[in-house]
Amino acid sequence: MLLLSFFAVSCTSDDRETPKEETPPSGDYAQGIFILNEGGFGYSNASVSFLDAAGQVYNSIYSNVNNTNLGDTAQSMGFEGDNAYIVVNNSSTIEVVNRNSFQHIATVSNMIVNPRYIVFEGNKGYISNWGDPNNINDDYVAVLNLETNLVEAKISVAEGPEKLLIHNGKIYVAHKGGYGYGNTVSVVDIASQSLLASIPVADVPDGMVIKNGLLYVISSGKPSYTQDETVAKLFSINLENNNVENVQAFPQGKHPRHLELENDALYYVMDNNVYTMSLNDFQLSQTPLFDSTSDGVELLYGFKVHQGNIYIADAKDYVSNGEVFIYNLTGDLQQKHSVQIIPNSFYFNN
Amino acid sequence: MKEIFYFLFLCMGFGQVIYSQTDSITTLGNVYLKSVRVKDSAYITNVTILSDSVLRQNQASLTNLLNYNSPVYFKENGSGMVSSPSFRGTTASQTVVLWNGININSQTTGQTDFNTINIRGYNKIEVKPGGSSVADGSGAIGGTINLVNQLEYDAGFKNEIFANYGEFNTYGLDYRTSYSSKKLSFMLDLTRTGSDNDYPYPETEQINNNGHYQNTNISFAASSKLDSKNTLKVFANVYKGRRNFSVPTPNALKTKYTDFNTRSLVEWERVLGKFISTLKVATTTEEYRYFGNIASDFYTFGKVHSLIAKYELDYALSNRMLLSLGANYTRNDGQGSDIQTEIRNLAAAIVSFKHKVSKSVLYEVSLRQEANEDHGSPLLYSAGMSAQLTNFYLLKLNTSKNYRIPTYNDLYWQGLGNQNLKPEESYQGEISNNFKINNATFSVTAYYNSVKNLLRWIPGSDGVFRPENTDKVQIYGLESILNLEKKVNYHVFSLSATYAYTISENEKTQKQLIYVPFHKFTTSVGYGFKNFSIYYQYLNNGEVFTTTDNAPEHILNSYMVANLGAEYALGKQKEYTLGVQVFNLWDEAYESVQNRPMPGRNFNCYINLIF
Repeated sequence: MLLLSFFAVSCTSDDRETPKEETPPSGDYAQGIFILNEGGFGYSNASVSFLDAAGQVYNSIYSNVNNTNLGDTAQSMGFEGDNAYIVVNNSSTIEVVNRNSFQHIATVSNMIVNPRYIVFEGNKGYISNWGDPNNINDDYVAVLNLETNLVEAKISVAEGPEKLLIHNGKIYVAHKGGYGYGNTVSVVDIASQSLLASIPVADVPDGMVIKNGLLYVISSGKPSYTQDETVAKLFSINLENNNVENVQAFPQGKHPRHLELENDALYYVMDNNVYTMSLNDFQLSQTPLFDSTSDGVELLYGFKVHQGNIYIADAKDYVSNGEVFIYNLTGDLQQKHSVQIIPNSFYFNN
Repeated sequence: MKEIFYFLFLCMGFGQVIYSQTDSITTLGNVYLKSVRVKDSAYITNVTILSDSVLRQNQASLTNLLNYNSPVYFKENGSGMVSSPSFRGTTASQTVVLWNGININSQTTGQTDFNTINIRGYNKIEVKPGGSSVADGSGAIGGTINLVNQLEYDAGFKNEIFANYGEFNTYGLDYRTSYSSKKLSFMLDLTRTGSDNDYPYPETEQINNNGHYQNTNISFAASSKLDSKNTLKVFANVYKGRRNFSVPTPNALKTKYTDFNTRSLVEWERVLGKFISTLKVATTTEEYRYFGNIASDFYTFGKVHSLIAKYELDYALSNRMLLSLGANYTRNDGQGSDIQTEIRNLAAAIVSFKHKVSKSVLYEVSLRQEANEDHGSPLLYSAGMSAQLTNFYLLKLNTSKNYRIPTYNDLYWQGLGNQNLKPEESYQGEISNNFKINNATFSVTAYYNSVKNLLRWIPGSDGVFRPENTDKVQIYGLESILNLEKKVNYHVFSLSATYAYTISENEKTQKQLIYVPFHKFTTSVGYGFKNFSIYYQYLNNGEVFTTTDNAPEHILNSYMVANLGAEYALGKQKEYTLGVQVFNLWDEAYESVQNRPMPGRNFNCYINLIF
């Protein structure tokens, strides 16, 4: 007769525990930088990484502290008081945690559908939602009661609301477009919860900053694959009358993203390069401040300028661990850190 | 836009004939080439055939059948959801599913979702590992699966009903009727399967939300011996399915997906002295609709109509030499919400020579010249030999060049498709050692596969995915299959096992491809005594990487799942069979895709009536 059969009843790697990340020596996350990792769309592997003052990265802090997954595709985060609010786009939830211990406080899920960004005023939070992404008429800003953690109202806005800014009792909403391509900035009155005005800007408004009563908006323009490519522009808008004071057009075929402000300079990203321009001058620069690909950045996905440093999140090929690159304002690489899947934004806790 | 791509990727993610357990094992004796020439390359590669009781004892989806009975690895986004194979370390796009020999992979994605195939419509399923583009065309790089309607003659009128019901409101009803005389044979099969699929996730408080699915399959086959020289066969199949896609977390927006596929085939075989001429003409249609919000009627879709014609002429030069000439033509007409409407024509000419050198040695050489409008015209080849070295040891060697043309999505996706894409090319070699002693067969096959110009959608520096020819992949592997059967008085024991070891690396980064395990092991044990039989199936899937950098924290744990079933046959001729099954007997918490848990222990019962 022949060979024997063999079957091991238990021969699996269940015993390989998920490596439990250590907590920082201080015991909490009060001093340092949070990096939000989106995770793969549909894989429920969004996570938060923490970079402490000593330069050490701690990954998956949300699941380590709370023993549960954060959810699917974390889009952004916001701080208010002692809390951090994590906007989890594909899970249609907002996870409320303590910003120092990262312990879970509440999950907001009622009247939240495909949330994107959050801002705060008074005791309310305002969250941009796409609703059904194929329905151009159901997009809105949700009004969150911060005491009860329940959404109490919806303010209808145009398709694809993304980033939000609050100024003088109004919310400015950039309509990047969701599944389509937007071209306006909505002005919503907080007290009456109604739409006051709609400022036309070029296609795909992405980043916004406000300084001295002026709103600066960068519109990326429609990309070439839409077969309807349009030009990118940078706007300076007077918030007293919502009039465009100054507009700069980018060269044909160029599509910048992100807009950051530090001291009197604007920073934006184009083709993995970082550009800067002075607010006083308001002229586009032909040459970049620096090129990040020479340092190993493959896909410049997240960008932030804060207190003298430029932070870049590299998403690699979307299917590996990403990397964070930290530069000074003259473009010299200072630090590099490995984080988790598709890092997209930075939040500073100190 | 990005989300649509993410959805596409969810869909995308591997001679001697071996019979499965509980069926009697027969050997291919001294058969003259003429009569068995329809199985191209059957003599130089190994084909596993699954039929009869194995089909009955497995759940209705093709994923489950192959997961427990073959070395093919599967990843599923939860039970019943999108399922992609990895056959010999390749991806879902490199596995071809054939229906009675006709390629039915989607022309839009280049893949088949194995949970859209209901096995009850077929009475035989063949699993052929390794490349076979010469015979089966584009995409046959990792392996092929052939769904077969086999007809018999002179068996009179037969009816069979199979009904099953299990937990989570899972039901299946299959009715098959057939009639055959000496010259005529018909078969019709109607089947419906569905489930609420609201299983609890083991070790958690959650349940699978929005996982309901249902599908209907109608299958028809007929064969007529017009006269002593001419045979005409007709096959048809209609499949309609709807699945709600289970949500990754409870509050996510619910989506659903529908499929409607039809196939028809007419085959005419003519014998003229030393010549056998076979003409096959087939049409297939496929249509998918994806509803991004289950509450809305809005959907995106893809639709392709295809016409396939195959002609083959076999000439028996002698009793030991067979020359075959063939010509193929395929026409695809595709349209969709995100692709341009395009018609595509493909043609190929094939020449093949088989020579039985002696009683124990045979070799075969085949060439296929493609003539395609857009994707180059490669010359493909396949060559191999088999040698019965001793009375229990059969050695087979083969090598082949195979390819895969870009899909409709790769070429014609609005704004992002690239019509300059080159086809993937694969060079393979295989050594297969096959042993047979009494009622036991054992095979160990070692293979090497080098795939270049791999077609993948990768993000550019602007973050947008575009299809490109990237990467070269090197695959080395070992496959082993064992079958044993032993009868002692009224006791019947059977055992089958498969084991696959696969190294599949991106040549540049030297990292294992994602969702390709190093190890996969399956085994089935059966025991029968008179009217009673009991069977146990076991599957052990090794760890897989889920990131291209093979990061250890993102490894999906290995898991084992086992099923147990028992059957009792009643009636004078054992026409009634009652069965009960326990799936996931050990209540293992496992997932084959990150964060998509599979069901824990659940029960099912079935009844099979023949009348």
